[in-house]
Amino acid sequence: MARRPDEEYDYLFKVVLIGDSGVGKSNLLSRFTRNEFCLESKSTIGVEFATRTLQVEGRTIKAQIWDTAGQERYRAITSAYYRGALGALLVYDVTKPTTFENVSRWLKELRDHADANIVIMLIGNKTDLKHLRAVATEDAQGFAEKEGLSFIETSALEATNVEKAFQTILGEIYRIISKKSLSSDEPAPASIKEGKTLVVGTQETNIKKPCCSSS
Amino acid sequence: MEKKRAEDHEVEIAPPVKVDKFGFVKPDQNSPEAGLTRSKSAFEFEREERRIRKWRRMIGVGGSDWKHYVRRKPHVVKRRIRKGIPDCLRGLVWQLISGSRDLLLMNPGVYEQLVIYETSASELDIIRDISRTFPSHVFFQQRHGPGQRSLYNVLKAYSVFDRDVGYVQGMGFVAGLLLLYMSEEDAFWLLVALLKGAVHAPMEGLYLAGLPLVQQYLFQFENLVKEQLPKLGEHFAQEMINPSMYASQWFITVFAYSFPFHLAIRVWDVFLYEGVKIVFKVGLALLKCCQDNLLYNILLQQVKLPFEKLIHALRNFPDDALNPDSLLPMAYSTKVSRRLEELRQEYEKQNRKKDESIGKQGEQPP
Repeated sequence: MARRPDEEYDYLFKVVLIGDSGVGKSNLLSRFTRNEFCLESKSTIGVEFATRTLQVEGRTIKAQIWDTAGQERYRAITSAYYRGALGALLVYDVTKPTTFENVSRWLKELRDHADANIVIMLIGNKTDLKHLRAVATEDAQGFAEKEGLSFIETSALEATNVEKAFQTILGEIYRIISKKSLSSDEPAPASIKEGKTLVVGTQETNIKKPCCSSS
Repeated sequence: MEKKRAEDHEVEIAPPVKVDKFGFVKPDQNSPEAGLTRSKSAFEFEREERRIRKWRRMIGVGGSDWKHYVRRKPHVVKRRIRKGIPDCLRGLVWQLISGSRDLLLMNPGVYEQLVIYETSASELDIIRDISRTFPSHVFFQQRHGPGQRSLYNVLKAYSVFDRDVGYVQGMGFVAGLLLLYMSEEDAFWLLVALLKGAVHAPMEGLYLAGLPLVQQYLFQFENLVKEQLPKLGEHFAQEMINPSMYASQWFITVFAYSFPFHLAIRVWDVFLYEGVKIVFKVGLALLKCCQDNLLYNILLQQVKLPFEKLIHALRNFPDDALNPDSLLPMAYSTKVSRRLEELRQEYEKQNRKKDESIGKQGEQPP
């Protein structure tokens, strides 16, 4: 697959990563955007941001992903980022039942602050901790079906299903968007910009950096 | 939590780690930070010794002359603090200027009571974050080691001491920074002095439900950027960049979260003596000295930096911009006090209006 410069894309999709603190949101993001996993990561304060451009259903999609602090009190800041998001990855930790129990509260949070037709995917992370598993796949699967969410289990540490999770949600968003633009003559909503074909700064910026800063 | 996984395989790896002069594990030998730890020349060493002697005279034995000196020569104290407190005296001076030493003396036994006898609803939240606070510092790296234990104790004690605040992510970086310079009990009282406002305006609003003070500071900062750096302010507005995307951590942890440690402690010197306005000043100075890189593409000077590049640049300032000896003088020359107060009043007025209109609709304010 020919690499395109990162400014060139057909669609820009904004996606938020939400879920309880410590479930692995930041490492899912770094695994997806930089193929890195950091054993010594710091807890996220406020919001973090990363992008990756990839091929989904033959289209070049730029995923703009906002990673949010999980602690409840931070919702005062983070909930502003739900607005305009086309997708939400709602993450829980398969070894921590409370993080799964709190999924309903996160759904309510999305209903209160996000667009009504946001695509939501439930993600059970840390499947590498097999002997510590405390949330059964079937339970989460059943819950997701009942709530109309897609569902996948991942391990950011072992890079299992991370790519697939993002591919799936971006594909779902794409299908909804393209269906919409077929069924009406209206232009796509403002948050989904058609890709600019202007190419600026074509140099590759894939300089490998250590995943932990010095502080 | 992730660390558990390494233990699962029962590998105990303990190679001798290389650390910088503050105790942070060095990322790699070729990094530009290595230059900061070079050995001092004889001249520099002598100058440093003189400076320490001056400071010792100013403080007196165990801080006995401090109050007297501050009352007599507040401007000398301010000037010396702005040049940086000698590292070997930093912990003591921080306690003197923050008013925490007085709190400690007035409340014997209180800390011990909080740590040993009380339980906190935040205990699990605190534990979850302990290994995620300064994970690259040797003091905090060892699981259940003295660093992690004292960090837990301080945060737990505070969450009991003030149950409205409890524990909020970010407090760990503040407590952690303090613990690198003082004992648990001293760090706890300094945290109390800051959050309850022993000398300056209380900081607890940074952590209370709704994070009201964070919101206010971000409002003030956004307006200061517009006023003092109009080109950049306009560019930010066009690209829909707002300070919550890059500056919330600056305020919530007073630069302790992501700034190079040697810069963070210099900011803390001034922060404890002069108050939160130094955070605004340093933030503005940083944007100012990186302005060109934030406005334009480095190679194509006419091309404005787009949203993603801008966010990236705001989170990865170049090393030379983060040099305290050039950044701080720039910060000191930035004037903010009067505007900060005006903007605070403006913010309160706006909020009152919002609350009233919500009240009229018969809804609960959020």
